[in-house]
Amino acid sequence: MIQAPKLYETAFIINASLDDPVIDGIIDKVKDVIVKNGGEIVDIAKWGRKRFAFPIKKKNNGFYVVCEFKANGPLPAKLEHHYLLDENIIRFLTIALDKKALVSRISASDLMKQSAPSTPAAAGSPVEAAPLAAPAAGTSEKN
Amino acid sequence: MRTNSPSGQQYDRGPQHGRGPQQGGQRNNTRQQQPRKKRTCRFCESHDSSIDYKNEKRLSRCVSEQGKIIPRRITGTCARHQRQLVLAIKRARHMALLPFVSDAVS
Repeated sequence: MIQAPKLYETAFIINASLDDPVIDGIIDKVKDVIVKNGGEIVDIAKWGRKRFAFPIKKKNNGFYVVCEFKANGPLPAKLEHHYLLDENIIRFLTIALDKKALVSRISASDLMKQSAPSTPAAAGSPVEAAPLAAPAAGTSEKN
Repeated sequence: MRTNSPSGQQYDRGPQHGRGPQQGGQRNNTRQQQPRKKRTCRFCESHDSSIDYKNEKRLSRCVSEQGKIIPRRITGTCARHQRQLVLAIKRARHMALLPFVSDAVS
């Protein structure tokens, strides 16, 4: 029985003390994991360096990335396994978007545009926007 | 112990413990006569079907200065949205967007 792909949203925090090329490499690895396991990336938003509400592993800020993708069942588990293996990914959260979330959600890139980073502790790293093909209205229409 | 108010409404004052006015003290009925305005759920008014954990600015209004979740009897949130709100706040705390305990307490 072939299941229809679900829409998932994953947010992960990368160690902010790394250089920008290294951070991009980590994000590319995550993209590869999604694509190689049959997923389709809908949207990816880099929030940039943001201060934590409380210190994690004695660090006060991290690089936030939010990614939305379509996938079947086994992919989220494999993705989280990848997160656990990567030492530079500090925290992660993967959720499945239900119909109610799709109706009222703002796309990850729009939310990034609305809220600027609170205190960019590391200087000189601008917030990058990388909106992909399907806008929020488009994905909601598919439902 | 049941007593009659001037309006004729019977109400139970409970057992007399010897504290406060025991006899002749009339309950202030002004609160019962004035209907309280019902607080409407702010999420119902804005027609939100779900609450996003990434929207920390909105969630921070539903959290006290100490970082605790404000109960719905104070905010007036409906039960459905309060459940979604609590889930969103806990996710935001996991992702370090909101504190578990604010700095004001420590």
